[in-house]
Amino acid sequence: MSVRENGRRHLTRLLASEIGLTFRRPRNLAMLGVLAVVPVLVGVAVRVASGGDVGGSIIGQIAGNGLMLTFAAFAVMTPIVLPLTVAVVAGDAIAGEASQGTLRYLLVAPAGRTRLLLVKYANVVVFCLAACALVALSALVAGLVLFPAGPVTLLSGTTIPAADALLRAGVVVLYAAAGMAALGAVALAVSTLTEAPIGAVATSVVLVVVSQVLSAIPQVAAVRPVLLTSWWGAFDGALRAPVAFDQMGQGLLAFAAYVLVFGSLAWSRFTSKDITA
Amino acid sequence: MAKRTRAVRWGVPVAAVAVVAAAVGTGPVIAAVRSDPSLPDRTAEQLLADVARTWQNGRMPQMSGTIVETASLGLPALPGLSGLSGPGGPSGASPASLLSGSHQLKIWYAGEDRFRLMLPGEMSETDLVADGGTVWLWDSAANKATRLTVPAAPEGGHGGGHGGGHGGAFPMRPGAASPFASPFATPEQAARQALQAAGTDTAISVGDVVTVAGRAAYQIVLTPKSADSLIKDVRVALDGEKLMPLRVQVYAKGAAEPVFEVGFESLSFTAPAPENFSFTPPPGAKVEQGTATPPQDHRPEALAEAHDRGRVVGSGWDSVLVTSLPDVPAQDVPAQQQDGKGRDGMDVTALLDGLKGAATPVSGEWGSGRLLRTKVVSILVTDDGRLLAGAVAPEALYRAAGVKG
Repeated sequence: MSVRENGRRHLTRLLASEIGLTFRRPRNLAMLGVLAVVPVLVGVAVRVASGGDVGGSIIGQIAGNGLMLTFAAFAVMTPIVLPLTVAVVAGDAIAGEASQGTLRYLLVAPAGRTRLLLVKYANVVVFCLAACALVALSALVAGLVLFPAGPVTLLSGTTIPAADALLRAGVVVLYAAAGMAALGAVALAVSTLTEAPIGAVATSVVLVVVSQVLSAIPQVAAVRPVLLTSWWGAFDGALRAPVAFDQMGQGLLAFAAYVLVFGSLAWSRFTSKDITA
Repeated sequence: MAKRTRAVRWGVPVAAVAVVAAAVGTGPVIAAVRSDPSLPDRTAEQLLADVARTWQNGRMPQMSGTIVETASLGLPALPGLSGLSGPGGPSGASPASLLSGSHQLKIWYAGEDRFRLMLPGEMSETDLVADGGTVWLWDSAANKATRLTVPAAPEGGHGGGHGGGHGGAFPMRPGAASPFASPFATPEQAARQALQAAGTDTAISVGDVVTVAGRAAYQIVLTPKSADSLIKDVRVALDGEKLMPLRVQVYAKGAAEPVFEVGFESLSFTAPAPENFSFTPPPGAKVEQGTATPPQDHRPEALAEAHDRGRVVGSGWDSVLVTSLPDVPAQDVPAQQQDGKGRDGMDVTALLDGLKGAATPVSGEWGSGRLLRTKVVSILVTDDGRLLAGAVAPEALYRAAGVKG
């Protein structure tokens, strides 16, 4: 009983220390800074350009309603910017410790490899959530400062009150974070395979780019439902009336499948490999 | 660590992959086994009669559902045809993109004049909302709402006789719904067209009972008797209870998968929420007025137009469209029977150039030209400026080309 409690307390402490390390690393802070700046840049660009014809796309609608910047930011950032930051954090998780020789010391603690891996992944998930929330917050603030706010027009042409729009923005944040967490599992699995963190990060990013390219080629349209990247864009289901829960639900299932497969891969590799460094 | 333990550990991801693959691959199988569709036996005649009776009453049940259209016509990669799309859904809501890949359409149906069709795109949406006499066409990418005035057509004038009559505003008129105009067809439209085309040249039989969108359905199999036809058969799945078409599949000769399929992926026979039918143009949107043209086949001038442009040689499955270039390039695919004129945003010239590039040179007693073969359509562009197309083997095109007219 007390041993288990001890173990749990140890786990919590380990996670807290991991999260602390993640959010104190200058590199990660710089990435978060970029994530916060991109929505502002989009907003400023629209503000500057809004003298001319802004068109009717989601970007164009920002000029009329600052709240739309939140959704536009995700449309702009989910394909590559957000995945990049997640790949860096998750790809570094094991390989980084291994290359610095600190992995051995972590394993000296009585947590066990399975628990250490769980803590590492939980840390990645927290980072994904924080990154997506930061994008939404930054876009929200920038949108409110630069543009008028008011009832939001959905993709279906229905107009909803601003409070509802904020709720839907929350749904988008959670969905996007889930999508990024799935990528985090992939990058974590790659991270257990190597002791060069840059290799793990690069591999994860290349996987994302290859997926994006594949889903742009009509001749291989059949593989689209299998690709992780195809489901990231389905957050736009939150902008329809009625909300396209079926599409987003399928997306979440796809994310869960990726976490299951690559999480178990990471576990087998991490619990069976010889840690020499 | 012992080798054996290590092997066991690697078994876990393998098992995970197997579980996911099984869940993805056998979902439809499980559904099919679970419901094990069983319906009372009906002959083709009984079934068709029942269908005709149901349609004569003209009332489709209230429902909402998702229709998925999949086309693998074997067209070469043509400019303007590539549908860059998301997971199951499309990105471009362009009708031309429906000719390749898989596309989704959502439908809410409460009555002939109260329905909504939604074509989702990536961060965009096209909607057709009909509520009584008001019909709105909403294009979110253009931020444009078009109010379509439906001319007061004499309804009920075509109830009896043939089972293929148009029943009211739904399925929507091709002209009324320009973005949804053919090549996309609802199961209802496609089924009617298939049944209309049936005649002495078609063998009609009842296939195995299948499950479509979780519902047990009869299958009517239409098999062309002609040897020239590239189409093996057309299978129409009819809901066992409501006798509503749930799916239409077109199989080409020598292909295991359907070349064209449109059917419900999910379907529920409950009254849709009323807010689906109330559309108000959002503030800031462009609002335009448009006029919905009556359906093409109800328009005498459409026939005249078609006559000016080209003629049809042969009948039924062997129909070959003969037309001249380049005045009427959009008529190249007769199966679509579309009004063409590039209205759907296809770059017709580029498309035609693409066709010519992908075609192989052929010649014979009839002359010479270029031939494009796909799984279901053959297209022949002769050097003297004619275009022949049909769902037939090239030999039938050559025969038609030999007859100067």
